[in-house]
Amino acid sequence: MRFGTRQTMKNPHAEAEQFRRRAAEGFLIIALALSGLAFGYFRLQVLQHQEYSTRSEANRIKARPIVPARGLIYDRNGKLLADNVPAFRLEITSDKIANLDATLAGLSQLVSITPEELAQFKSTRKAIRSFFPVVLKLRLSEEERARLAVNRYRFPGVDVVPYLTRRYPYGNLFGHVIGYVGRLDVKDLEKLGDSKYSALTHIGKSGIERYYEEKLRGEIGYEEVETNVDGREIRVLKGIPAKPGSDLRLTIDADLQQAMVAAFGDFDGSAVAVDPRTGEILAMVSLPSYDPNLFVNGISFADYKALIDNPSRPLFNRNLQGGGPPGSTIKPFVGLAGLESGLRKPSDRIFSSGEFHIPGQRRGYRDAEAGGVGWVDLKQSIAQSVNTYYYQLAMDMGIQRFDEYLSRYGFGQKTGIDLVGESPGVLPSPEWKRNHSKEPWYLGETVISGIGQGYWVVTALQLAQGVATIADNGVRHRLHLVGAQRQGFDAAWQPEAPMPSVRIADPAHIAAIRDAMVAVVQTGTAHGIGVDAPYQIAGKTGTAQKVGRKGNISLDPHSLPFNLRHQALFISYAPADDPKIAMVVVVEHGGFGASTAAPISRRILDAYLLPKGTAASPVTEPPLPVSKTPDDGEDVTP
Amino acid sequence: MIAWLRDWLIEFLDKVDWPLLLGLCGVMVASLVVQSSAGGGDSHVVIAQGARFVAGVIAMVMISRIPPARLRTWTPLIFACTLALMPLVFVLGSGRSARLWIHLGFFYLQPGELLKLTVPMMLAWYLHSVRLPPGWLALTICATIIGLPVALIVLQPDLGTGMLVAASGAFAVFLAGMAWWRIGLFVGLGLGSLPIAWQFLMPYQKSRILVFLSPESDPLGTGWNIIQSKIAIGSGGWFGKGWGQGTQAHLDFLPEHTTDFAFSVLSEEWGWIGVMTLFALYLFIVGRSLWIAANARDTYSRLLSGALAMTFSIYVLVNGAMIAGLLPVVGVPMPLLSYGGTSAVSLLASFGVIMSVRAHRKFMG
Repeated sequence: MRFGTRQTMKNPHAEAEQFRRRAAEGFLIIALALSGLAFGYFRLQVLQHQEYSTRSEANRIKARPIVPARGLIYDRNGKLLADNVPAFRLEITSDKIANLDATLAGLSQLVSITPEELAQFKSTRKAIRSFFPVVLKLRLSEEERARLAVNRYRFPGVDVVPYLTRRYPYGNLFGHVIGYVGRLDVKDLEKLGDSKYSALTHIGKSGIERYYEEKLRGEIGYEEVETNVDGREIRVLKGIPAKPGSDLRLTIDADLQQAMVAAFGDFDGSAVAVDPRTGEILAMVSLPSYDPNLFVNGISFADYKALIDNPSRPLFNRNLQGGGPPGSTIKPFVGLAGLESGLRKPSDRIFSSGEFHIPGQRRGYRDAEAGGVGWVDLKQSIAQSVNTYYYQLAMDMGIQRFDEYLSRYGFGQKTGIDLVGESPGVLPSPEWKRNHSKEPWYLGETVISGIGQGYWVVTALQLAQGVATIADNGVRHRLHLVGAQRQGFDAAWQPEAPMPSVRIADPAHIAAIRDAMVAVVQTGTAHGIGVDAPYQIAGKTGTAQKVGRKGNISLDPHSLPFNLRHQALFISYAPADDPKIAMVVVVEHGGFGASTAAPISRRILDAYLLPKGTAASPVTEPPLPVSKTPDDGEDVTP
Repeated sequence: MIAWLRDWLIEFLDKVDWPLLLGLCGVMVASLVVQSSAGGGDSHVVIAQGARFVAGVIAMVMISRIPPARLRTWTPLIFACTLALMPLVFVLGSGRSARLWIHLGFFYLQPGELLKLTVPMMLAWYLHSVRLPPGWLALTICATIIGLPVALIVLQPDLGTGMLVAASGAFAVFLAGMAWWRIGLFVGLGLGSLPIAWQFLMPYQKSRILVFLSPESDPLGTGWNIIQSKIAIGSGGWFGKGWGQGTQAHLDFLPEHTTDFAFSVLSEEWGWIGVMTLFALYLFIVGRSLWIAANARDTYSRLLSGALAMTFSIYVLVNGAMIAGLLPVVGVPMPLLSYGGTSAVSLLASFGVIMSVRAHRKFMG
C-alpha cells in the first residue's frame, strides 16, 4: 500500500494545474452537449413547430366525459312521468375560434339564438377554461341541424352534439311534484366543485328532480379519445364507464293525480292524498300548475314573465311552501289534545250560548250558530264545529300545554317529505310572538288558537300528515314520495326501507275522534257528501279567512290577490272503518269548507275507492246546505 | 442564540458566492412560475415547492459553514451511514413500481438521492490521499466505492438514480486526471457489456428502452408520454403559448407534468426563448461551480465541488434529452425545476458544499 508514503508522492501544484485542465475540458464537453440539446429543442420548437402545433391542436379532445342517462321517474303503477329523449345541441369551443363575434353572428343566420341563450353562453364561457366546449343552444330543430350540416366547414370550433334531453309527458300535471331540470349554470358548477361536471348540461332545479339529483344523475365516466385536426375521432384509447342514474318509482298514482286536478274544476288550491298505513303520498297537486317542459331548454323571457305575473302564482308550491290558518280543521287535533292531557273525557259537555267570554273580560268570542247550540260533548263539538267547546278547552289547557300536544301532532315543524324548501309553518306560541312582535302574549290569543285562527300557519302537508295519523290510530309515518329505486333498466326495483313511524296518541282517544269525524259527514257540517256514498267517509270542514268577508265574497277568486284569498278546507279519510286514503283539500276563495272543499274531496275519494268506470258518476256540483252552519271562527268585536 | 444566529448569517452573506446564489435563485423562481401553471391553479403545489426551497436553502447555508477540512474528516462516517440506509429501503421502502422511499413520518426520504452527494465525497476523500493522476490500484478502489452503492440502487430497482450516482463518481475520477486512454478503455468495456446488462434489467426498464426506440408501439404507456411531451415542446414555438396557456399540461396530456415533465411545460408555455434562458442559467451555474472548484485550496475540495457541478449538468442533459425523446424515459428530474422534496433539498445541499469551498478558499488547513 502507498498510504504511508502519500505525502512524498503528491505534488499539490501539479495536481491543481491538472484539475484546472480537466475542469476546462469538462466544461467544454458540457457546453457542447448542452448546445446539442439546445439544437434538439430548436428542431422541435422552431423547425418542426408547424407539425407539432397542428398535433397539439388536434389533441384537444382527450378525456371526454361520458354523461350517463338520467334516471327515469315512474308513478306507482309504472307510468312514465319523466323521460329522456334524444336531441341535438350546438356547442362552441371558443379556444378554437379566431373571431368569436363573427362566428356568433354567422351562426345566428342559421339558427335562432335568443338573447337569454346568448347571455347564458357568455356567462358560462367566462367561468370555465377556453379549451372546454360551451353550449350555445339546446334542442336544435331538424331544419337547423340541416342548415348547420351544410355550413359546417365555415365554423371550425362549432359542434352539433347529440344528447338526451328531459321530457315530462304529463306536462303541468306533475309540475309541483317532479319539478324540473334546468340548464347547469355557473353557480351550480361552483357548488359541484369538480370540473368534470361541466360536461353536464342539466341539473335538477326543483321537486323530485332536485331532491334526488345525485341518484338520478349517476356517475360521470371518461373516455379517452384521439381525434384529428377536424375534431373527428380516430380511436378510443381507454375509458371508465359511466354509472347510469337510478330510476325512481314514486308513490304517486297518476290516475288519482289526474282525478284530483279534474275535481278542482276551475278552482285554485291544493290537495294532498296519503296512504295512512305507510305515509306514501298518493297524489299531490298545487293549482294552478306550470309545465316543467318549459324550463328544460331554458325558459323564454316572455313565458317566464307570464308565470311570474300571474296573480295565482303557478310557480308557488302551495303544499310545500304555502299555508295558512287551519280554521276548524284543527278541532279534531285540539279535541285529541284535550283527551290526551286528561282535561276532557269524550262525554264531558260544554254549554254553547253563541258567545264566549274570558272571565273578567268584556270581549266576546263568537260561536258559529247565533244563539248557540246548547250543551255539546266532544262528538257534537266536532260534528257541528262548535267554537265555544274549543275556546274553553284551549283556555283550560293554557298555551304551553296546548303547544306541547299540537307540536306532538306535527304542527309547527317540517314533515320531512323528500322535497326541498318545505315550510315549517307556525304553531302559535308566546315564544314565536316574542320573536316577531313587541307585544306580550294575550289570553285571547290562546282562545282563538283553539279554533285554528290567530298566528297559526299550517301547511297542507302537515294537515295531511295529521289526518293520516288519526286514520292509522295514532301512528305517524313520515310522508314520502319515492317508493322504490333501481340501478338501470335490467335491475330489480329496490323498495325503500319503511319510513320511521311513531305512535303519538292513545288509540282509545283516537277512536273517539274518529267517531266524531264520521259524524261530521253523516249528520254534521259535511253531511251533504256522505248521504249517497257507497263507503263511509270521515272528515272535518274548515274555513280559514285572511280578509274580512263583507263585500269580498263575490269577487272573482282568480283576480283576488294571492295573499288575500281565503281558503275552504276539508280533511278526510276513507273508508272510515279501514282507511286506505287520507286527504286534505284546500280551495282558495272556495266559500265554506262544506260547500266546495268537501264535494271536491268526495269526487277524489270516489276516483280512488270506487272500481274504475263507476267513478265517472261524480257528485254533482255543490247543491249543498250551506246555510246549515257557516263554519268559521271569525271573532266578534264587542 | 439570536445574536449568534445573526452573526452567523452576516458571515454567510459576507462570504457567500453571490453569482452562484443568484443563478440558483433564478432557477428556483422559474420553478415556482412553472409549478403555479402546471399545478393548474393548485396553490398547494407552489407552497410545497417553496417550502422545500426554503428547507434546501437553510441546508445550503448550514453546510456552507462547515469547513471542507472538517467535512473531509467526517466523510467516511457519512458515507457509511448513507450506505447503511440502503438495505433499509428493501425492508421499509415504498414506491409505485420500485421501492425507493423510506417514510420518515413528516416526509419521504430517498437514500439514493443522498448517495449522489456522499459517493463523490468518499471518492474525493480517497483521491485526496493518493498520488494523482490515479493508477490502476487507485482506480480499482474507486470502482469499488462507486460500484457498491450503485449495485444496491439498481437492485431497488432504480436505474436512473443508479446511473446518476455512477456518473457523479466517474466525474470525480475524471477530474482527478484519469488518463484519456484509460477512460476510453472503460467506456469501451461499458458499451461492450450492454447486451449482458440488458439481461438484468427489469421488464419495465426494458420496455422503456424499447418504447424509446419506437414510441408509436406503445401509445397507451410510456410511448404516449414521449409523444405528448414532444408535442408540448414542439407546439411551444419560439415564444411559447404563454403562462398558464399550455394545453398539453392543462388538458392532462402530459403525465407527471409537475415532476419529470415540468420542463416540457416550460417549453410549451415559454417557447425556445424560455428553454434557452434556462439552459443559460444552468450552464452559468455549472461554469461558476467549476471555477470555484478550480480555485479551491486542496484536492478534496476541488474534486468534490467539481464532481457535484458536473453531476448537476448531467441532470439537465438527461432530463432535457428524455422529455424531448432523445433518451429513454428515466426518472431524472430537471434540477430545481421539477417538483420533488429530496431532490431539491439534496441539490441545494450539494451547492452548500460548493459554497463552503468558496468561503474557505483563503485558509490553509
